[in-house]
Amino acid sequence: MIEALFNQPNYLAANKALDAVVLREGAIANNIANLETPGYKRIDLAPSFETELERATASRDPQQIAALQPALAVDTTAVSSSRDGNTVHLENELMQMNQNAMTHALETQLISGMLSRMQMAITGKD
Amino acid sequence: MIQILSGIQNTSAALDAEQTRLDVIAQNIANVNTTHGVDGKPYQRQVVVFETSLQQAMNGDGSAQMPAIQGTHVEKDSSPPIHIYEPGNPDADANGLVAMPNINMQDEMADLISASRTFEANLAVVKNARSMAMETLAIGKH
Repeated sequence: MIEALFNQPNYLAANKALDAVVLREGAIANNIANLETPGYKRIDLAPSFETELERATASRDPQQIAALQPALAVDTTAVSSSRDGNTVHLENELMQMNQNAMTHALETQLISGMLSRMQMAITGKD
Repeated sequence: MIQILSGIQNTSAALDAEQTRLDVIAQNIANVNTTHGVDGKPYQRQVVVFETSLQQAMNGDGSAQMPAIQGTHVEKDSSPPIHIYEPGNPDADANGLVAMPNINMQDEMADLISASRTFEANLAVVKNARSMAMETLAIGKH
C-alpha cells in the first residue's frame, strides 16, 4: 500500500533523471581523467535514454518508467582535434560538467520538494 | 562499499599520473645543465609514459568500455645530446664540444603548463562530485 506513495510517474521520472545525471558525472570524470590518453574516445550518456524517458513519461505508466536503465556509450559525434585520436576537449567537458551539476541541483530540489509535499499531505503541517 | 562520490576512481589515478609528470618535468628543468651525471654522461631527459587498460564499463553490461589510467612509468628520452662549443669546460671533448642534456626548455615549460592545467581540471571534477554528493545527502531536508 505504501508503494503507491512512491509510484507516481513524476516522482519515478525524477529519480531516473537523477540516476542518469550521476552516471553522466562518472562519464565526464572519466573523460577528464583520460584527457591525455592517446586514442581515447569520450563517453557520455547514451542518447537513446532521453527519448526513452520522454516516451515513458508521456505514457504515464509507472512500470515503464521504472524499467528505464540509463547506460553509457561512446560519443560517436565527437571529433578529434589532435593527432593522437583523443576526442576529449577540456573546455567542453568542463562546460558539460557544470551543466550536469546544475541539472543535479535541479533534480535533487525537485525530489526534495515532492517528498516535503507528500509529508505535508500526510501530517497536515509543513 | 557504498559509493558516495561516484565515478572518481579514475580521477585519483589521473591526479597521481599528473603529479608524477610534474615531478619529472621539475627534475628535467633542474638538470638542464648537468653535463656530468653519475655514469659520466650528460643527463638524459626523462619522459612519463601513461599506461592505460580497458576497464569494464560502469553500467556493467559492457556497452561502453572505458579506458582507465592504470599507472605511469618514467623512461629516458633517447634523442642525442645537444653539443655546444665550450673548450674551457672540463667535460669538453677533443674538439671543444660539450654534450649538454637533450632538454629543450620551451618544451618543458609547455609540458609543465599542460600538466598543471590537467591536474586542475581533475581537481575541479573532485570538487564537483563532492558538491553533488552533498546535494544528494540533503534530499528530504528542509
